[in-house]
Amino acid sequence: MAAFYMSEELVGILRQEGAASALQTQVAQLFEESREDVYRYLMTLGLTPSRAQDATQEVFLRLYAALKHGEEIENPRGWVFRVAHNWGLKVRARHASENPFDADLEATLATPAHDAEYDLLERERMLHFHRAVEALSEQQKRCLFLRMEGLRYPEIAATLGISASAVGEFLRRAMARLKKVRDE
Amino acid sequence: MSNWQSAHPGEGLLLRLLDGELAARKARQVRRHLEACWQCRAELESLEATVAECVRYRKQVLAGFLPEAPNPWQPLDRGFDRVDAELAAAPLWKRLPRLAPAWQWGVAVLAAAALLVAAIVQLGRTPSVQAASLLEKAVAAASAHPAPVRTIGIRLRSGLTMRHTVGGAAGNWLPLPPDIETAFQAAHYDSADPLGARAFQSWRDSLPQKTDEVETESAPENPHEPCYQIRTQAAEGELASVTLLLRVADLAPVESKFEFRDRNWIEFTQVMEPPPQPDGFAVATTHEAPLRPVVPSRPAALTPRSSASISDELQVVTLLHRIGADLGDPVEVSLTDGEVLVSGAGVSPERQRQVHELLDGAANVEVRFSEPEAALIMPSAPAPATGGDTANVGIQTRLEKQLGGRAAFERFSTHVLDGNEAAMSHAYALRSVAERFPAGNEESLAAPDRVQLHQLARDHVAALETQVRVMESALAPVLAGLGGKAVKAASAPAADAQWQKAAEDTFRASRHLEVLLSVLLGVTPGQNASADLPSQTLAAMADLKAGLARCQSLLAQ
Repeated sequence: MAAFYMSEELVGILRQEGAASALQTQVAQLFEESREDVYRYLMTLGLTPSRAQDATQEVFLRLYAALKHGEEIENPRGWVFRVAHNWGLKVRARHASENPFDADLEATLATPAHDAEYDLLERERMLHFHRAVEALSEQQKRCLFLRMEGLRYPEIAATLGISASAVGEFLRRAMARLKKVRDE
Repeated sequence: MSNWQSAHPGEGLLLRLLDGELAARKARQVRRHLEACWQCRAELESLEATVAECVRYRKQVLAGFLPEAPNPWQPLDRGFDRVDAELAAAPLWKRLPRLAPAWQWGVAVLAAAALLVAAIVQLGRTPSVQAASLLEKAVAAASAHPAPVRTIGIRLRSGLTMRHTVGGAAGNWLPLPPDIETAFQAAHYDSADPLGARAFQSWRDSLPQKTDEVETESAPENPHEPCYQIRTQAAEGELASVTLLLRVADLAPVESKFEFRDRNWIEFTQVMEPPPQPDGFAVATTHEAPLRPVVPSRPAALTPRSSASISDELQVVTLLHRIGADLGDPVEVSLTDGEVLVSGAGVSPERQRQVHELLDGAANVEVRFSEPEAALIMPSAPAPATGGDTANVGIQTRLEKQLGGRAAFERFSTHVLDGNEAAMSHAYALRSVAERFPAGNEESLAAPDRVQLHQLARDHVAALETQVRVMESALAPVLAGLGGKAVKAASAPAADAQWQKAAEDTFRASRHLEVLLSVLLGVTPGQNASADLPSQTLAAMADLKAGLARCQSLLAQ
């Protein structure tokens, strides 16, 4: 009988370990797929590349911790971006004395030598579009970037602490502006 | 949108259609319109082309030109181990949810509760015995060795501090301020010996119901001097609690603190300095700076001083509130490194100017906005609620019918959602104030600051109440017409409730109401309305009102 109990206990432990390992595999897979997107998003928030990389790593570990703690997360990618956004703002606030990171994409785009294969016309078009994106209000930009990453309106709303209808309105204004620029 | 209605859907609806964010019924209507309308189809194609341009921009510019990660990406394995270790080291109650399924949880909670009750009973006895025994010994020690002449610092809640020289053969005290004297008398506490073990023992013994706590602390004037701290809470009477600190070495009292039921308090501390007259008693009363710098708050904030305090932070938050910068603007206030930092990204130039005008020149306040070229444009109104999910069509059709048609429904929906939008901005602001000044921090605020903080919170509560009334006057008759039944408000607050907790509950109630409204009015697709949605909405509104009443009542205390 003792052996029976022992094996039950062992099975329980193995199950638990198996579940933990499956969880790690899932999070590791999502990390593999999405880390570059999260990293880029954090840079658009003004984090330096090294801080954005550290923050990205931290966000996925938080996802693992939350899942392991039993939290039910319907859309892990949306969750990751929401946490990344909040975490990124905290990191920015902590280093508020420094200027936010600016990749100066405009200068990079305007330098033809940067990538000879990149079509000149396409470069011009993208430069034009980039300027329009930069001219959007911060909230419009946040909504647009998060939408580009595949988040739905309610998820964007939860991330930014605004209502879903406000997200729709910000996106409408952003798209109207960008459409106008594209049509020019 | 029947064949009789030729209005074009507009960019907002088209974008929501493309994004799959439109309720099923509305999506069908828009698609039907698109089949017939070349102009809108062209508009939709143009929007699709812009979406495609965004995708290209993300791929070519953001992914192509933003700097790559400076270091190779490390696998998360080591991080997983760290998280596992942290979770394993966390207290049991924090780990339980992931350890067991629900029924095992229940058993664990019951077992823990039983253990807790047993522990409380056990602990409830032990400190009482300890307290009684320590006091007995302290009284005996005081009888054997009368207290020498010494200086006693007295600190009142009002911030007033005094010093008395007491002791000697007579052991006399100068009279205390009359109101304090009266309070001591009402509490049946011997005011002639407020720093003595005997008076404490007599008072404690007279209590019909009490709770004792005994801990070891360091002496207030000497961190290397261990002391016993006895704290006795009375279930009734003028005095809520008395704390006495006895030196371990000779059981001499070195500090006592009296907390009265009306939240007033007074503290007596033995000061480690030679008295001015060795044989005297009651010879000097001086008013001076607090003995210990424990109260960072100060009434005259925003005046020059070396570093900012929580009071300065409160002043800044209040000033921002006066210009409405705490309602939806991404303006952050933080107290770091001895200064109040006001920052924000994407704040409109006009708002930035207002904030600069308001705060530039204030001592220890730094205003720093980033991306000054960006302009924040708040939506003038939420997108009108239109349509509903298939499952919700019933309730929205009934609403339309009751209100007298589609146009009336649109107006009603916009009116309610506008009210909700305004209510939510105050709910967020109220929660933000409660989080910024939690109960623990509030204790360290001076009385005028506390009044100011409560006024700030009351402003948001009042504004929220107004918006709830606006929504209620529109919604209540309509919901009743849909079969909704009014419910009673939630129960009254606990006696020791804090307004911060009530503010958090109110925020949650606001969010709950917002979700129900969005389902009711067809704003949120994909959520099905249950048959008793009208009653649920009325109940949510009642809960919110009850939460607001709780806030009001606690803030008035």
